[in-house]
Amino acid sequence: MKTGLWRAVVVAGALSLVAAACAPAATPAATAAPAATAAPKATAERPQPGGRIVVGSFVDIQRLNPSTSNDTGSSNVSGKIYDSLIFADPKTAEIKPWLGTWKTSADGLTFDWQIDAKANWSDGKPITGNDFLARVKMQARSKVTPNKSVFNDVEGYQDYSTGKATAISGIKVDSADPRKFSVKFTRVFCPAMTSVFGSAPMPDHVFGKYTVDADPTKNVDDAPENNNPPVSSGPFKFKEWRKGDQTILVKNESYFKGAPLIDELVYKVVADTNVLAAQLKTGELSVGKITATDLAGFESETRLKIYKWQANSYTYIGWRGNNPNVAYLQDKRVRQALAYGIDMAAVVKSVLLGEGVKMIQHHPNVSWAASPEAGLNAYNYDKTKAEDLLKQAGFAKGSDGIYAKDGKPLRITIVTNQGNKLRETFLQVATEQYKQIGVQINPKVEAFESLVPKLTGGSPEIEAVIIGWSLSVDPDPFTIWHSSNVASPQKAGNNFVGYANPAADKLIEAGRNGPDCSQAARQKVYQEMNKVLNEDQPYMFGYSPREIMIADGRIQGIAPGTFNLEGLWNVAEWWIKK
Amino acid sequence: MRTYIIRRLLQAIPTLIGISILVFAITRLAPGDPVRLYTFGALQITEEDIQGLREHYGLDKSLPEQYVNWLTLAVQGDFGKSLQYNRPALPLLLERLPATLQLALVALVLQLAIGIPLGVVAALKRGTWIDNFIRVFAVAGHAIPTFWIGLLFIIIFAVGLRWLPSQGILTVGKDVWDIPDRISHIIMPAFVLALGGIANYSRYLRTETLDVIAQDYIRTAHAKGLRERSVVYVHALRNALIPMVTALGPLLAVLIGGSLVIEQVFTWPGVGQFTYAAARSKDYPVIMAGVMVASTLLVVSYLIRDIAYVVVDPRIKVR
Repeated sequence: MKTGLWRAVVVAGALSLVAAACAPAATPAATAAPAATAAPKATAERPQPGGRIVVGSFVDIQRLNPSTSNDTGSSNVSGKIYDSLIFADPKTAEIKPWLGTWKTSADGLTFDWQIDAKANWSDGKPITGNDFLARVKMQARSKVTPNKSVFNDVEGYQDYSTGKATAISGIKVDSADPRKFSVKFTRVFCPAMTSVFGSAPMPDHVFGKYTVDADPTKNVDDAPENNNPPVSSGPFKFKEWRKGDQTILVKNESYFKGAPLIDELVYKVVADTNVLAAQLKTGELSVGKITATDLAGFESETRLKIYKWQANSYTYIGWRGNNPNVAYLQDKRVRQALAYGIDMAAVVKSVLLGEGVKMIQHHPNVSWAASPEAGLNAYNYDKTKAEDLLKQAGFAKGSDGIYAKDGKPLRITIVTNQGNKLRETFLQVATEQYKQIGVQINPKVEAFESLVPKLTGGSPEIEAVIIGWSLSVDPDPFTIWHSSNVASPQKAGNNFVGYANPAADKLIEAGRNGPDCSQAARQKVYQEMNKVLNEDQPYMFGYSPREIMIADGRIQGIAPGTFNLEGLWNVAEWWIKK
Repeated sequence: MRTYIIRRLLQAIPTLIGISILVFAITRLAPGDPVRLYTFGALQITEEDIQGLREHYGLDKSLPEQYVNWLTLAVQGDFGKSLQYNRPALPLLLERLPATLQLALVALVLQLAIGIPLGVVAALKRGTWIDNFIRVFAVAGHAIPTFWIGLLFIIIFAVGLRWLPSQGILTVGKDVWDIPDRISHIIMPAFVLALGGIANYSRYLRTETLDVIAQDYIRTAHAKGLRERSVVYVHALRNALIPMVTALGPLLAVLIGGSLVIEQVFTWPGVGQFTYAAARSKDYPVIMAGVMVASTLLVVSYLIRDIAYVVVDPRIKVR
């Protein structure tokens, strides 16, 4: 799966750690037509072909078959090899036709696809509906994919997955024109546009043989072509994976949108941000993403260019509303007080060195799902208001300066993941500032790998947490905010804070299951949902950073956008000025 | 001698089993769940999916059962499949072993080539500023953490002077057989890895040489009217080196262990870097394979050392 993913936001030096553990956040079809947008705006220079782009990455790739992978490093690379049916605009998140164009039936359940007549695999074979079907089938029968359930709403998928059926009844490929196919869903599922159709078709003539319709024990999991893709539908072809060191891609001369201008795209593994910064300066890397704290060292480097854009992610303090140890967090007034009680402008300044914005809702304000900020409570820093709200909630200040109610002081343990300097600083500032409004914070850091299961498993140890979400192109917040996803020891979930509000549930369901999946209809419900969240403050929504990318100044055509985390969505049109 | 070697090899088996039980217990009992970690962020994952993955990797069984299963397969060379890479753990490690061995061997050569002369010179110039300088260097080489020196070297030689590449094993775009390019990459990490050993050797050699040059036969050699150089190289150094031979075996194992940190700092694509990443993602099969490979190397290298003792020093007899 390539889209519709949340993963913990990686903000500091712990990049490799978080990235290794989390899902990809790349947009589907990470490329655009060179002809369409390649020409630089003011100076109409002729793009010069040739050269190599070396991208710094904190993690090595793991699995190059996107149907079984779940890590950013692999998705970034496989996204250049396999194109998707659709293209998510990195600036607006609008879903556009790419490998194919589609028509939706009146009931919203059936999608008729037509694949571009020019779209072929790099060996010349046409890309057809069978390739999309091959993708769905390989994912259905894989024993190792974490994304088996992505296609659950496709009719007949689950029976095929378990081996009860030998075909997926909902996917029909036109036998006369195999570039035509249709996909039928059992219910309306709005994020399907990116989650289902953002799943790149896989070459049936390469991988098809590994999935045997009549034998559910056979699967693609051990296919040698997984990590050595022989054909490509995207702008680049796989050349070599030097384990632990680099992955080398070369341009696909027969790419249906025109061959890339550069000859080679190399992903090079680097240990950490210090190393990345050093290698950008020495020119060993042509492009890499850094954090604000490393920015200072680059401003004097005239050879390099700095690109910044609003991230589709945020770091927050989640208040655990369903933990009896901190029962007072159930009171909305307490959570609101905590929102007023922290000076986020100062946090953005000290943690992000100004490279970010305060968040007051779930979606960053560049998203079409975000509520206009003017209509929301900004929770501007106001200590008096914070203390007033605590008093209204029945708290009184004790002799130690800490508010208490029924003999129980306002004492909250906030945990964050170890090694993430930005979050640790955020935690420090929060601890100091909350003390000023009479709330005692017990700061704690814990290794990411042991923290995650505690969060998703609803461990009673968690009272509050500083962590982040990297949002997907589709704004569906179901797994984070719907009450059915409350994390508990019985059922893991991403609703760590135990948020359950019937009004929010209804809106989330409408945005997810329609029946109207149009952007306008969904925008309405999500804006409403954000208002509810803004009022309820289940999180202190924290901040959203700016993504910062450093690139060799000679590279032309870089055009990053919020809805492409990697910043390389149009690398096929980049060119290097000689 | 043969029975001795066989006996020692048999003795190694319970040692390795003991290590495996210990590491197995530590990794499994530490908090964290690899399946949850690996599926974190997967949007539409269900509890059944998680359960399916657990079953697939055998993580749904009790710990003793898991261990027995692991051991049964491990003795056949099957350490299980990496959760992250979905490939057998041992081949994954072995394909990274050459990079680590390269680094360790070059570091070993540097240790000997620099450490030994330093030690001898220090002994011969005992009490002079040269001796003092070498001794300070030795203490510093030991005391300063290697990762820090590594970063310092990167800043000086790669970022500042631009003499050497800061990272990796090969320049992007270069052929894997480009020897000069490979040498330029290996110098810094190998030297930093060798520092501790250089310090060790120079101190060791200094003491040994001082011991030897006080011996009667050295005085005899001097008395015979031999040239100073011949006394030092032929008589003194050769004898001082005898105990060094025995230190080589475990040293290689130590170097391979030590490369864990160095590989991180210099992004060297070896076993250390790989195992470290696996430990952070709780990729059990890779952690186990990594530890077992390292333990086996250590056990074997101690065995080689003990055999070398017998061969080099006739005073020690095998019984």
